[in-house]
Amino acid sequence: MTTTPDGQTGLYKDAVANGLWREMPVFGMLLGTCPTLAVTAAVKPALTMGLCVIFVLVCSNIMVSLMRKGLRPHVRILLFTLTIATFVTIADLFLRAYQPVMSETLGPYVPLIIVNCVIIWRAEARASNSGLILSIVDGLAMGTGFTIALCTLAVIREILGTGRLFEIQVLPTTFPAWAAMGMPVGAFLTYGFVLGFINFMKRKRV
Amino acid sequence: MLDNLKIFVRESWLLVTAALLCGLLLAATNAALGPRIQMNKTLKLTNLAAGLLPEAKNFVPLPEPIEVKGLDGKPEPAVVFKAVVKDKVVGWAFKAVGSGFADKIDLVVGVDASFNKLTGYDVVASSETPGFGDQIKDAYYRGQFAGAPAERFNLVGFGAANAADIDSTIVAISGATISSTAVVQAMNHYLPQLKEQLQQKGLIPNDNNP
Repeated sequence: MTTTPDGQTGLYKDAVANGLWREMPVFGMLLGTCPTLAVTAAVKPALTMGLCVIFVLVCSNIMVSLMRKGLRPHVRILLFTLTIATFVTIADLFLRAYQPVMSETLGPYVPLIIVNCVIIWRAEARASNSGLILSIVDGLAMGTGFTIALCTLAVIREILGTGRLFEIQVLPTTFPAWAAMGMPVGAFLTYGFVLGFINFMKRKRV
Repeated sequence: MLDNLKIFVRESWLLVTAALLCGLLLAATNAALGPRIQMNKTLKLTNLAAGLLPEAKNFVPLPEPIEVKGLDGKPEPAVVFKAVVKDKVVGWAFKAVGSGFADKIDLVVGVDASFNKLTGYDVVASSETPGFGDQIKDAYYRGQFAGAPAERFNLVGFGAANAADIDSTIVAISGATISSTAVVQAMNHYLPQLKEQLQQKGLIPNDNNP
């Protein structure tokens, strides 16, 4: 992280750049790969998962940042887990109440956000030693980076797997849908190819 | 003693306070969203029941709740709906729970107006293994119950009887004996209890005193 002459603004810019590119959770740090592989068969569930993660990241960062001065080393992880679990449960209840079909589609992967490394990573690396606004910006940036990654994979998989995007036909009906793209094998292949492409671009720039 | 208490408070006050706050937040969220979640569950159950009793125009819960013994032997409120067309009862739909391979299996079961014949069942929620246990959602297994007498079912192994015969003998799904058993067990557990309760309340004709 760099500090610039204008102080805080530089930190915010860094936080945004880290979340959206340099330390992007899925493609940069290879974190949160379980939901990345599991819910990216279509864009709608991927987007919903991304929004849930943004909500949990921002809320847990807020709470951890507010508590940071009273944190004791031996109860630190316990407090992070308590905070994350609370907001994940709220997100899960909200989905079950207002998006019951999506809640069923996502199945156990919403409760599993509790064990998503991205969230505990940001609580530990950012919120536990930063101010409130910076923690919020960090949560938003990291969550958005995570959502962009999920949606990128989901767009590729949905189009190639069904020929449709958001239930609208985008490929000619003569295109033979690749059923494998909707299966785990499609998730691994797409993730691998996108990751390879990003690494190739990064090396090219260097 | 006092020193120990001071150390305990100093080290844990934040954790205790945070736990209390989180608990309150969850309780408030649950109180606010709980009724809506329950309504969604009921809606899903009645929508599935409409597929089992297509002639029904409406599903009405019983005016007085009835209690049955759950799988664990403890009393639980039964979820029973009257399937009606202009106040005429054309069937019954109820929730049954079976103990599956991965978790509990929630079923909705449709029965005719006199509670003598099953119109079928559908799966409300299950975590059975895809490709194996989740075949309880498929026509092969569900079809064996549609039109079968609403009495005790016997489960037999794959190939031991003809699955196309509509009777009280149910042929298990190959490779999914636990899931197959869970459905039959749920039927055998809830059907007689509900039949007896509805007969006692005079909502269906009594077999011995029609």
